[in-house]
Amino acid sequence: MEKNNKNNIKETKTDKIESVQETKKVKLSIENITKTFNSKTVVDNVSFDVYDGEFLSILGPSGCGKTTLLRILIGLIKPDGGTILKKGKDITNTKISKRGMGIVFQNYALFENMTVLQNVEYALIVNKTPKVIARKRALTLLKKMHLREFENKKPYELSGGQQQRVAIARTLALKPDIILFDEPMSALDVSTRLELCQELKRVQKEFKTTMIYITHDQEEAFTLSDRIMVMEVSKISQIGTPVEILKNPANDYIKSFVCDNLTNKINNLKHFVELSNEQN
Amino acid sequence: MNKTNTLSIPQKKHWLKQSPSKYFEIFLCIVLFSFIVVPLITMLTKIDKDTFSRVFSDDLFLESLLNSFTTTIAATIISVVLAYALAWAISRTNIKFKTIFSVIFTLPMLIPSISHGMGLTILFGNNGIFTRFFNTSSHLYGFSGIVMGSVLYSFPVAFLMFVDIFKYEDYTPYEAAEILGIPKHRQFSSITFPYIRKPLISIIFTVFTMIITDYGIPLSVGGKTKTLSVLLYENTVGQLDYSAGALIGTFLLLPAVAAFLFDLFNKDKAKSSFITKEYIPTKNKVKDTFGYIISAFVSLFILTVIVSFCLQAFSTSYPSNMSFTFSHIKRALNKASIGYLDNSIFISLFTAFVGMIVTFLTAYYTARVKSKTSKFLHIISMISLAIPGLVLGLSFVITFKTSFIYGTLVILILANTIHFFASPYLMTYNALNKLNENLESTGQVLGIPKYRIIFDVIVPQCKHTLLEVFSYFFINSMMTISAVSFLATRSTKPLSLMINQFEAFNMMECAAVIALMILIVNSIMKLIIYLIKRKGEKYVNKKSI
Repeated sequence: MEKNNKNNIKETKTDKIESVQETKKVKLSIENITKTFNSKTVVDNVSFDVYDGEFLSILGPSGCGKTTLLRILIGLIKPDGGTILKKGKDITNTKISKRGMGIVFQNYALFENMTVLQNVEYALIVNKTPKVIARKRALTLLKKMHLREFENKKPYELSGGQQQRVAIARTLALKPDIILFDEPMSALDVSTRLELCQELKRVQKEFKTTMIYITHDQEEAFTLSDRIMVMEVSKISQIGTPVEILKNPANDYIKSFVCDNLTNKINNLKHFVELSNEQN
Repeated sequence: MNKTNTLSIPQKKHWLKQSPSKYFEIFLCIVLFSFIVVPLITMLTKIDKDTFSRVFSDDLFLESLLNSFTTTIAATIISVVLAYALAWAISRTNIKFKTIFSVIFTLPMLIPSISHGMGLTILFGNNGIFTRFFNTSSHLYGFSGIVMGSVLYSFPVAFLMFVDIFKYEDYTPYEAAEILGIPKHRQFSSITFPYIRKPLISIIFTVFTMIITDYGIPLSVGGKTKTLSVLLYENTVGQLDYSAGALIGTFLLLPAVAAFLFDLFNKDKAKSSFITKEYIPTKNKVKDTFGYIISAFVSLFILTVIVSFCLQAFSTSYPSNMSFTFSHIKRALNKASIGYLDNSIFISLFTAFVGMIVTFLTAYYTARVKSKTSKFLHIISMISLAIPGLVLGLSFVITFKTSFIYGTLVILILANTIHFFASPYLMTYNALNKLNENLESTGQVLGIPKYRIIFDVIVPQCKHTLLEVFSYFFINSMMTISAVSFLATRSTKPLSLMINQFEAFNMMECAAVIALMILIVNSIMKLIIYLIKRKGEKYVNKKSI
């Protein structure tokens, strides 16, 4: 029964990819996590591993349980059953702030009454980092996130993309080794999304952080991820690299929700390009 | 992901292993239940069987009941129509001086209801300015006086509610209607009316409850026309017949309970509206002229009533000797009004502080901590909306008469806090609901204690609402004559009750002085709050440059 789910999912991978991943260190191991709200099972016996330094997207439609799963990982919701191991250590009941994880929420949850700089240094100061060091660290992060010119602005004076970068900088200030993202781009326009996708990859490379990214957008997941975990209602349907999922969809759901959707988008774009070429 | 899952979902814990925050939430529930629900139940249990036959067989009761309903229905219709017209003029026409007009329209909210009756007496009473000017007899006392006074007393509240509705109305449907060539009257029936229907019913209930439970106006200009509220006042304050008072109070409770139930059952069904385009009034000579006329007429009328207080207060012997004098001020102050002013300011400041803190904490739990306890807390808070001041005062007398707080300023502060609790609670609840739902979760992840998030992040973001709440409690505590009239003793009497006393002794000049004093104190409070808010806004602008 134990790790049943995980074993089933691994069966969908190709041997080649599996051998590559076995050489990676497991950062986070989720085993048989279950959560029920008002007799409705939202997360049902879910198990998977997250590797050190990887970008894992959790892809699924609204209501499939992906946000609940993310909140369980960070500790905002306690699971009814199962364990979360970080580098082999059980953190299921560890205090949220002691898990070494950060989160960027869908609407960023910035402190609107504080400036950008104060937003980034506030948590450091509250956590008893000397003020001078906190300020220095905050300024360094703002520089790295290309936000120095906005340090005295309030969040509501910034664009959606800039706000998101402040949220990332605030999260990075406490040096988490895993950052979780809860559909952070759903409120942004297409061009900002593209720009931020690159920015996220850059941040991941620079800070060498493991990132777990929740999304319902297939394009986003395929652009950003090292691996994608596709969720159906409360369960994992498949985990694999983008190429694996496209080449070997585990079932009809994956085929229609992921592969067909993406193919349609690509075909539409192709058709548009052909039309424009003909007109020219 | 559905929204309920994005909030911090409470985990089940043994009741002894709850966090201090949970214990505090339970404590708040107990406190509010003790001061809102318990007194009400105690009052209802005080009605003995004989009282039913005694009260119902009394012709005066039936007459008062009929008077209450006829005057209230007439005044509610006029008040709501007038408030709609004025709110329309401010929000939908291109007239100038909108801010000044709006301030004047809300001035009647700063003085006790009994003062409106007094103002009307000065203007239209037997020796009234207009009565003498037109050399006619007065028809003020009775039905017409109660209706006029009640309109003056209640329309500002309806006006503010309508302005709020207009502010959040989306202009896009009107644009579409214009393009489709739909005539204006059809636009009103098919766009405006469906939009305002639900809030309109709330406004009607609010105004109706305000008027039917007020005793100040019928007491001063009612003449022989008695209403239920006056009957309640006379039965309890005059005859100390608490049983009859409680029964009459139950009748006064009914409209408010109906309004409460209506709001409760319609809240969840209400569709949320989004403004895609704000209404920007264009120049239209007919509309603007109508806007100017109605705004100027109502402003003039309100200012005339206020000027009439000055005339009364500063004339040697109105209306025979109109020479200027300070003697009435001296007389009013000699009657220990300064001590009562101290009482009023003390009670109002404490009510404002206590009210603001209790309101914020209660609203914080109900808006941001989703649990069964917080739902219960929300229901208790909303019940306070349905209790008229008179009934609350009576229930407090019956419940706390033998307790140590009776006869102290504490019971007045408590009664005022509960009496005016519901509106500021809803204001704060809405403000807290609008804040980002993940602030506390972010704090948890970043290792920031909850109390720091509340004081460093949430309170600063709600400071304007909290200032409004403070001002609301202060102003209403300064001018209330309802609950406090049952609870005040000679030494704890607030200034507003001096108006009743001076009127009873026909010392109209002194009553006018008191009304002016309350108006001045409340205007100063309004000004202070305005300046603090403006300073905050300037600071924000300066910081953003």
